Amino acid sequence: METAALIIVLVIVLALFFDFTNGFHDTANAMATPIATGALKPKTAVLLAAVLNLVGAFLSTEVAKTISGGMINEEEISATIFPAIIFAGLIGAITWNMFTWLLGLPSSSSHALFGGLIGATLVGVGAIAIDFGVVVSKVILPALIAPLTAGIIAFTATKIAYAVTRRYDSRPDGRDGFRWGQIFTSSLVALAHGTNDAQKTMGVITLALITVGWQSASDPDPQMWVIIACAVTIALGTYMGGWRIIRTLGKGLTDVKPAQGFSAESSTAATILASSALGFALSTTQVASGSVIGSGLGRRGSQVRWRTVGRIMVGWILTLPAAGAVGAAAAWIVVWFEGMGLGWLGILIDAVIAALIITGLFLRSRRNQVNAGNAMSGVAESGTAVRVKRNPPPTRRQRALAREEARRVAASEAAARKAAKSAAGDAKKGDRR
Amino acid sequence: MIINWTAFLEVFLAALIGSITIVTFYALGLRLLVRSGRAPVVAPAEFTDAITVISEKEARRAEKAAAKAAKRSPLTDGQKSVALVGAYASFTVCAAAVLGGILLILFNH
Repeated sequence: METAALIIVLVIVLALFFDFTNGFHDTANAMATPIATGALKPKTAVLLAAVLNLVGAFLSTEVAKTISGGMINEEEISATIFPAIIFAGLIGAITWNMFTWLLGLPSSSSHALFGGLIGATLVGVGAIAIDFGVVVSKVILPALIAPLTAGIIAFTATKIAYAVTRRYDSRPDGRDGFRWGQIFTSSLVALAHGTNDAQKTMGVITLALITVGWQSASDPDPQMWVIIACAVTIALGTYMGGWRIIRTLGKGLTDVKPAQGFSAESSTAATILASSALGFALSTTQVASGSVIGSGLGRRGSQVRWRTVGRIMVGWILTLPAAGAVGAAAAWIVVWFEGMGLGWLGILIDAVIAALIITGLFLRSRRNQVNAGNAMSGVAESGTAVRVKRNPPPTRRQRALAREEARRVAASEAAARKAAKSAAGDAKKGDRR
Repeated sequence: MIINWTAFLEVFLAALIGSITIVTFYALGLRLLVRSGRAPVVAPAEFTDAITVISEKEARRAEKAAAKAAKRSPLTDGQKSVALVGAYASFTVCAAAVLGGILLILFNH
């Protein structure tokens, strides 16, 4: 029982931390474009997004009956190993979320969670418990469809926005006014995000509580403390603002102008709302990224940086296998120790390794901090325009070569000194003779 | 593997119609606002972009240009007020669409 209690406590802690990473990973979806166009001050924007996420989390508390949406046959997994699999899956998801945040890549938090769970299930139970057809139809295909759909819609919307406000007499065209509109469409995206994403964590925690018998299965609604904890955590995460991702989405893909930002956010909001209303789940992150690309293509004379688009796409492709690999490794440690009758030790080792990795990634991020002050500043741009000569620290090989060189110089100097000394000695001897 | 293409098509069309409605009416509202002689000049809340910085002086200049353009407008006062009413009507349609979105969030869950 103690082991089960330990796992559940750790699952709850990890689930809340996942909720937090989900929050800061997804601030960019709603607030990158209004920050980029100056419709809202960066701090105001993240505060607004945080409040709307908090409100959204309380608006809807109907959690999904299954956390994986049918990808994993949860009935096939015994109640004894299920919390450990959720635990390992969460470790995979959190690690991937932190890593993509460090790289400034917008990637889907739910896909990371699915990937982690699938990897953990593969190791903990076997391939029999996974429905690969559902994986393709619920993760892989939507990942192709979502950005394309949102991109086409945002492209059309941007074309319309520019066509309607176009003037040929060079008088004021009023396009500045799109900044007001951006505030409303972005807020809609933030609210929709709160209603969708906080439920995932509530679902994970509730399922864990039911598995261990701390909540009756006949009453699957999340308890009040779970709702409050999840809502507050996602709001806090949102307020932290994943500035690296905001920079990528707001400036990295294309230079967003108010009309484009308005079109992109209304396309994101419309696509997300339509998909959740009609039951065809699409990832908010992928929709938002597709919208920004579409709006970049829609304005004449604007450029889309396809290299960045390519990096983001690679991130999306890797999300499932990478989070899955980490989840599988975490599950393998638990299973291995379980075989020796020390399941709790495996869990503890997992937790320690995960904490070390997360701390390491966090410390790495401190080397080049991105925050509200510099997320959108021109410093990054001037770095690409003016080629600054940089001296990267020497590699291990270069250091070894330098050491070798220093040793050689020292040796030759010593030899020279010795030769000089002996020559002097010979001369003295010669004098005596 | 079952892919519900009908559901996807529905999502695509609903999102396209919703998004185009909001953008068209908002842009139309702005256009009519300019026509009524009240071109909106909204300076960025924070000058974030180092390349397209608009200084406060430039923002004032833009406001002046808007006022000048409004003065030179060949439209009569009646036409201008019709444009203004049209602008507000367009913004109302947008507000209704956003409200619809919020209601969808509220009652869909």
